[in-house]
Amino acid sequence: MATLSDTPQKEAGLVDALKAGDQQAFRIAVREYSPDMLAVARYYLDHSSAEDVVQDTWVNVVDAIQKFEGRSGLKTWLHRIVANRCKNRLRTANREVSSEFGEVLEPGIADRFESGGRWATPPKLRFEEHAESLMENDALSECLDKHLSSLPEKQRSAVMLYEAHQHNADDVCNILDINASNLRVLVHRARQKIYLMVERFQETGEC
Amino acid sequence: MLMCRDLARISSDYIDGNLGTADNLSVKMHILMCKDCRSFIGNLRESVRLLKGHSGFRLDEEYANRLDSAVEKALKEQ
Ligand SMILES: [Zn+2]
Repeated sequence: MATLSDTPQKEAGLVDALKAGDQQAFRIAVREYSPDMLAVARYYLDHSSAEDVVQDTWVNVVDAIQKFEGRSGLKTWLHRIVANRCKNRLRTANREVSSEFGEVLEPGIADRFESGGRWATPPKLRFEEHAESLMENDALSECLDKHLSSLPEKQRSAVMLYEAHQHNADDVCNILDINASNLRVLVHRARQKIYLMVERFQETGEC
Repeated sequence: MLMCRDLARISSDYIDGNLGTADNLSVKMHILMCKDCRSFIGNLRESVRLLKGHSGFRLDEEYANRLDSAVEKALKEQ
């Protein structure tokens, strides 16, 4: 993703415009940063609460940007505000942040081994033989969307930030406030779910 | 010895290059001899490729406009 904030100079220019209260700069920033901010918020909250938090964050940024000193990047700064607001909401709603970091194998994969640890039901298909058609198959990308939206929140945010938005692991850990091994479990679980989805799709043509 | 299930457990770490030298070598040795795990790793790689090709969280235009309006209102009230 090539974006306008790719270079520190461009980001500094944007920050100056935001500090000056430039409406157009805000429109640009909103479109640039909100997808990631939503990913962060969805880690903690349901869809509509997440949208609320991102909106509140932008309203807050109108004033708070004056205090932004650029020690962290703008993106990191925004993520931190979103994450803090989400955590506050969770606290007031008294919701537990559950742990999903235990088992590393998806049940649909774990069931395929003998007790000794060899494959009982080995993979039958080789996805790469259909790789090109996979990438271009509209039905499959719809199916992928459907599966991504039904992932548990933590897995979804982790996998979206790490895979689709292609942030590096350290960044994602900072954004989501988890350690590297937790991130690896979340990503690995989500990947296995997608694996099972593709396999089913190839075998049956169904999502 | 590394069993197929053990390999499945660390397969993402292998793909992402997060394994230490010894574990990495064990996986390499294993998939050299085990066709099923070779398929599994290949398929998991394709799944990752599919995920990396996804456009990510999208902003629908209606919501983006809502954000714009909220910002505009806040700018006016400044
Ligand atoms: Zn094997």
